[in-house]
Amino acid sequence: MTTFPDLIRDGWERTRRFRPVLFLLIVMIPVFAILQGAFLTQQNLESMLVNSAVLWIVAMGMTFVLLSGGFDLSVAAIAALAGIFMAKMLQQGIPGGIVLVLAVLVGVLVGGLVNGLLIGRGGLSVFVVTLASMISLSGVVDLWSSSESFYVYAPVAKIIGTDDFLGIPTAIWIMAGVFLAALYVQSRTFFGRDVYAIGGNPVAARLAGIRVPGTLIAIYALMGGCAGLAGVVAVGRIGAAVPQVNNTLPLEAIAAVLLGGTALSGGSGGVGGTALGVLFIAVLDNRLAISGVSNDWQNIVTGIILVVAVASDRLRFRRAEKGADLGAGSDPDSEGAEQSPVPADRSPLVT
Amino acid sequence: MSSAESKVRTEKPADGEAGGAVLRMRGIEKRYGGVHALRGAELTIREPGVVHALIGENGSGKSSLLGVLAGSVRPDGGTIEMAGEQCSFRSPVDAVARGIAMVSQEIAVAPDLTIAENVLLGHRLVRDRVAGVSPRKSRAKAREILDGLGLDYDPGALVRDLRPDQRQMIEIARAVSMEARILILDEPTSSLTDDEVDGLFTTIRRLKAQGVAILFVSHRLDDLFEVVDEATVLRDGQTVCEAPMKELDADRIVAEMIGDAGAVAAKRGAARRRGPRDRVALSVKGLDVEGLLREIDLTVHAGEVVGVAGLAGSGRSELLEALFGVRPSSGTVEVEGEPFRPEDPRASIRAGIGYLPPERKTAGLSLQMSVRDNLTAIHNLGRLRLASPRRRQENEVAGRAASAMGVKTASLATPVGALSGGNQQKVALGRWLAVEGKVLLLDEPTRGVDIAAKWEIHRRLRDLADEGLALLVSSSEIDELGELCDRILVLFRGRQVAFLDREQASEDRLARIAGGHL
Repeated sequence: MTTFPDLIRDGWERTRRFRPVLFLLIVMIPVFAILQGAFLTQQNLESMLVNSAVLWIVAMGMTFVLLSGGFDLSVAAIAALAGIFMAKMLQQGIPGGIVLVLAVLVGVLVGGLVNGLLIGRGGLSVFVVTLASMISLSGVVDLWSSSESFYVYAPVAKIIGTDDFLGIPTAIWIMAGVFLAALYVQSRTFFGRDVYAIGGNPVAARLAGIRVPGTLIAIYALMGGCAGLAGVVAVGRIGAAVPQVNNTLPLEAIAAVLLGGTALSGGSGGVGGTALGVLFIAVLDNRLAISGVSNDWQNIVTGIILVVAVASDRLRFRRAEKGADLGAGSDPDSEGAEQSPVPADRSPLVT
Repeated sequence: MSSAESKVRTEKPADGEAGGAVLRMRGIEKRYGGVHALRGAELTIREPGVVHALIGENGSGKSSLLGVLAGSVRPDGGTIEMAGEQCSFRSPVDAVARGIAMVSQEIAVAPDLTIAENVLLGHRLVRDRVAGVSPRKSRAKAREILDGLGLDYDPGALVRDLRPDQRQMIEIARAVSMEARILILDEPTSSLTDDEVDGLFTTIRRLKAQGVAILFVSHRLDDLFEVVDEATVLRDGQTVCEAPMKELDADRIVAEMIGDAGAVAAKRGAARRRGPRDRVALSVKGLDVEGLLREIDLTVHAGEVVGVAGLAGSGRSELLEALFGVRPSSGTVEVEGEPFRPEDPRASIRAGIGYLPPERKTAGLSLQMSVRDNLTAIHNLGRLRLASPRRRQENEVAGRAASAMGVKTASLATPVGALSGGNQQKVALGRWLAVEGKVLLLDEPTRGVDIAAKWEIHRRLRDLADEGLALLVSSSEIDELGELCDRILVLFRGRQVAFLDREQASEDRLARIAGGHL
């Protein structure tokens, strides 16, 4: 029977992977609030979140890609493509709602049919495929836009980018929606479970009858959809579709996912941690921006924290493994109790 | 069983000699968080030149005890004496310096270096004063060491081109070159063929003659009785038995391991009750796998266990892979009379075929996922992928499979990777029980599993057959086939050379046929 302490313990165990960043946030927020009264105002918090909307949406999709053992470098190019597509369609006088859906669909199609097919069916390396599509899609964006920005005056852009709904910016509603949808797909569907299975052990997943290629195509399509939506939100925020592709966006998103405790090798982690990873970057960014410190410092700090967060996880794992790694290794995990999320008094060793 | 109930029966002959034993570990304690892995474990090797077995169930503390000896695990208490002298190891380097070398299961060689470089790894290559490392002199030195072990490898060859058993020999040679006095061999036979095992034992006997004490870990009873002189049995982190091998037999060893003589009989289980039915579950005609298998014909009846015997490379594993559709093949396959083309694991599963791969960690299980998710993976295949799993139904399915296989786990939410090897294997098997299968293909169903768990898995497999499932079992262990199977197919270099009934299949005869003699 599950007792209340069990629930607390399980909940605490579940935070294990993103504990460093959670801890940092818990320390950072009050400190920043004390140092600078403006930090905790509603206005500042809102602008902080809205400014991180693009990263947030992309990072949610990226979490699934990383969980499956891959990554996607082409997301910024897809976002820019969706942005240009949106601007062009709106110029044609097509209604904003339809354009919005179509723009997301462009992302889904590019992600699924280009990245997904080549990786899932073609079995090509993730790095090569997404690098290639990043490069060629940037070319497509440049050609299609004739390297010009398109100002977007349609109301849909204003609604997404600057309007409020029930007193909260639309962008934050979108962020919340994307997060909840991602959380649902991750933990409440068979698809989510397949993603973990494939990332954890592709061979076992295939032998258990999971459609590995099809699932990979769906994962990259989902990523593409998130990138498309991010492109739409970016257009709304800026009020224009710009042809420049922000190619640090995919790397920033990967960093946020890793900060949130998802393993680069796939199979463990989740969108809850990613939300904290993005928040961490957003808080740091915001704080440094308020105090007028240059962006470079933010990058330096983010890089260091990334290494520290991943290393602390790695270190704990290694320490726990040590007891078993040179032993009668038919099951190196069975005696390294620390690494297993099983509370010790309920461990399978004590039978 | 709880540790409080289990009585420690230590049979310790009086050791009064003054010089002290080669190795004496006393009262070794180790905790990992809340798990008390070693509770005063003892291990004594009295004389040089003996082969000493360390035996215990998965999770009994063997790994930790070996780790303490090899310097990779810091004990929380206890003493280690070598030749009467107290030692403490802060790192594996300390242990090596005291003459303790470990050859682990995961073979640690550098594939792109030569044999000589691997043997002399770690600053022991021969240097010229001016020209730096001298490949020629290094090879000559390696040659000497290899000769001492009776190995005729070319020291200049790349390790990449060696078989796993030869790589293991390279590690042993490395240990010898470091003048090891105690050599730890951790499951050295688990991935070797019979011939290779013979080669290993020859080397072990040479080392013995040179006065090297060998600490030997193996789950295979055959190994123990063939090469081992004395044994220590661990249970729940305590030493429960120390005795010369000639005083031990299989039942006694298992009784000490699991600490309950009554349970031994239960695990060993009764003989088959029902035997095969008339219905043919799987029929294979003229199955070819290019370059690996030719003209395989076989039938498996419902309720029947058919074994596949053969040396490594005879096509045993490939036959099962082809039938499950992970390896392209041609020929006719029928499942309960229905024609079936094995092409894709998914289609095979739908046709009622299950497959247990030989490597549970790399192919059979998703280790980081929970016991429940692993047990229900096959059951859930037919569900829409965007549907939500129903917790209650899954718990029921997983619970049933877990109890049918006797999986011991803290909860269904425990990650499978945290279970002992035997329990992992039961989960890998149990996931197939959650669906209505017709044929189960099993490759090495008890590899890397301790003896007690092995017997238990055997009993449960026989139960499955009695319930009407058709089993096709490939195994490198002939005694396993003899115990499980109604009929045995023998493969030699990709061809079927015999199909024997249980009564005709003595171990000697099987071994002879599998080796290519009739």
